[in-house]
Amino acid sequence: MTGTIGKEPYIEIRGVRKGFSFGAEKVAIFSDLSLNIARGDFVAVMGPSGSGKSTLLNMLSGIDRPDSGKVRIGDSHLEQMGESAKAAWRAHNLGIVFQFYNLLPMLNTAQNVELPLLLKPLSRRQRAERVDTVLDLVGLDGRQKQYPASMSGGQQQRVGIARAIVTDPGLLLCDEPTGDLDCKSANDILEMLRLLNRELNKTIVMVTHDPEAAGFARRTLHLNKGEFTEQFQREPEDLAPQPHRDEAMEQGVARQ
Amino acid sequence: MTSLQLARRNAWRKPYRTLLLMFCVAVAILIYGLTQSFLAGSQGTGGASDNLLGVFNKAGRSQSLPMSYLGRIAADSDVAAVSYMARMRGFAGTQSNVVMTSAVDPRSMAAVNGRELGLTADLLAGLDRTRDSVLVGKALAQAQGWSVGQRIGVTAFQMTGTNGSRDWSFEIAGIFEGADASTDTYFMIARYDYINAARAQGKDMVDGFVVRPRDGVSPGVLASRIDALFANSAAPTRTQSEKQFLEAFIRQFADIGLIINLVVGAAFTTIMMIVINTMAFAVRERTFEIGVLKTLGFSRGRIMALVLGETLFISVIGGLAGLAGAKCATMLAGPALGLSLTPLVAGKTAIVIIALGLLGGLLPAVNAMRMPIINAFRSR
Ligand SMILES: Nc1ncnc2c1ncn2[C@@H]1O[C@H](COP(=O)(O)OP(=O)(O)O)[C@@H](O)[C@H]1O
Ligand SMILES: [Mg+2]
Repeated sequence: MTGTIGKEPYIEIRGVRKGFSFGAEKVAIFSDLSLNIARGDFVAVMGPSGSGKSTLLNMLSGIDRPDSGKVRIGDSHLEQMGESAKAAWRAHNLGIVFQFYNLLPMLNTAQNVELPLLLKPLSRRQRAERVDTVLDLVGLDGRQKQYPASMSGGQQQRVGIARAIVTDPGLLLCDEPTGDLDCKSANDILEMLRLLNRELNKTIVMVTHDPEAAGFARRTLHLNKGEFTEQFQREPEDLAPQPHRDEAMEQGVARQ
Repeated sequence: MTSLQLARRNAWRKPYRTLLLMFCVAVAILIYGLTQSFLAGSQGTGGASDNLLGVFNKAGRSQSLPMSYLGRIAADSDVAAVSYMARMRGFAGTQSNVVMTSAVDPRSMAAVNGRELGLTADLLAGLDRTRDSVLVGKALAQAQGWSVGQRIGVTAFQMTGTNGSRDWSFEIAGIFEGADASTDTYFMIARYDYINAARAQGKDMVDGFVVRPRDGVSPGVLASRIDALFANSAAPTRTQSEKQFLEAFIRQFADIGLIINLVVGAAFTTIMMIVINTMAFAVRERTFEIGVLKTLGFSRGRIMALVLGETLFISVIGGLAGLAGAKCATMLAGPALGLSLTPLVAGKTAIVIIALGLLGGLLPAVNAMRMPIINAFRSR
């Protein structure tokens, strides 16, 4: 089981070595990490604290680079790209959802969501339309003018998701997206991610501590001591009933 | 929202700090603008001419020279025009209200520096009308509240008339404006023939000659040739350009000038350092947020532009307020104090404002641009 749908995986991590040095001491996080993720997949990454889950996501988003090895997403070889090329790549292909939302406090909801659109050749009006559309999608319509400080964690995370998807990227990276939320809000957010995966065919890689959260993904990887020790592929029957599941899966395959 | 609005939003994150910063910039620019206006004004050497030569007694400007020198100076073929003057220091009303009067020959005066002073044919004709006519400089007229046609009295500190009195009466025939804002117009022009005939002492003596060299003639060479003419006479001369004289004159007060410069300079520098440091700090505070923008795909160039836009916003708003303040000050108290906010000064000030915004933002902007996102995130 490689997790690959189709011939060429969408995401390919091959032979990645990564370590951090603390003064003279060099601590290896990964010595030889490999992983394939298909387009349209929803992968949960679990593992003990300090096992390198965030480091993995950082290499996928290009904000950190491997010491050696290959990180390819689509046609882009991140390990070979410079900072500005990676910034442009992120602007077009990637949405990131953070544990602590990372909204800009001086901007209201609409402005926070609009931020990534400033990098696109869109008119003010087109930007506003897109912002309204995604805010509607995450259930925050009418809260355009509200500031992050006056919102609950769950609401702020919805803004975070809206900001991540407003440019319609193919890939969503989520680092503990529910780590700071109560049970109910967490469920709403996870439902939303599942919806984005099933309905809009977003490829999602989500780091989480919580086995229940991982249950929303199509498959779960366990990261331990620099290796994926277990790959748990959920059987379709285990998944909560999803009306459009098969259709979405087919689309995922068709797009390979 | 646009990128510019984003920068402005950032600047207003801490409104109190931002307002304080703008205020500091305004004060610094006010100080800078006023100092520059002073230097460019008539009290500085900015408005002084390099082209006109003044011939004075070598023993000091308060000593006079005989009128007979006029012909010998005029005989030099490099002299385009020469005029002469006697100065009367006096006051109007109270002793502290000093009024300087230059008694001149209107025709030759007009030939030498009529253009610089703005002496039109009408004004000169007015001076011709009666012997006690005077032309008053605009700055002086404004300060005294004098107008054309008015009869004024000036009490001389020294010069007594043949009647034994130090009180002189004049009629204002016109007001001269000077060629530009930096021309000193805080004095008045009377007729030498009238003053000379009416004074008890020093008849046919002058306080100095003013020489306009021919085009293309080196003023320095001509000056030494004139001084050589009278080197062995009873009253040797010192010939200098107006600018040289003013510079030497200002240097007499070097210690005071130096102190003013030091104090003003220190205040300006201190404020600038506080402003730059605070702006840099304000940007550093947001390392994390800049990291967020980078993850959203903002390029280094955009981050840099954003940070510079923010510091420029602060310095331009504050700077314009300071410049407006300086402009008001020069308009309210300018003429009497010899302040002149010329376009050149305004331009220099604008450059300082921009430089300040860029300097305040550059270091933190480069840091923000360079910092790996991973470190930005670990800063929290
Ligand atoms: N930029 C960094 N510099 C030094 N050490 C780091 C850095 N990022 C992560 N680490 C270390 O690498 C290990 C894995 O970190 P991380 O990927 O954040 O783990 P996880 O997200 O699984 O908890 C930890 O021991 C952490 O201290
Ligand atoms: Mg982590």
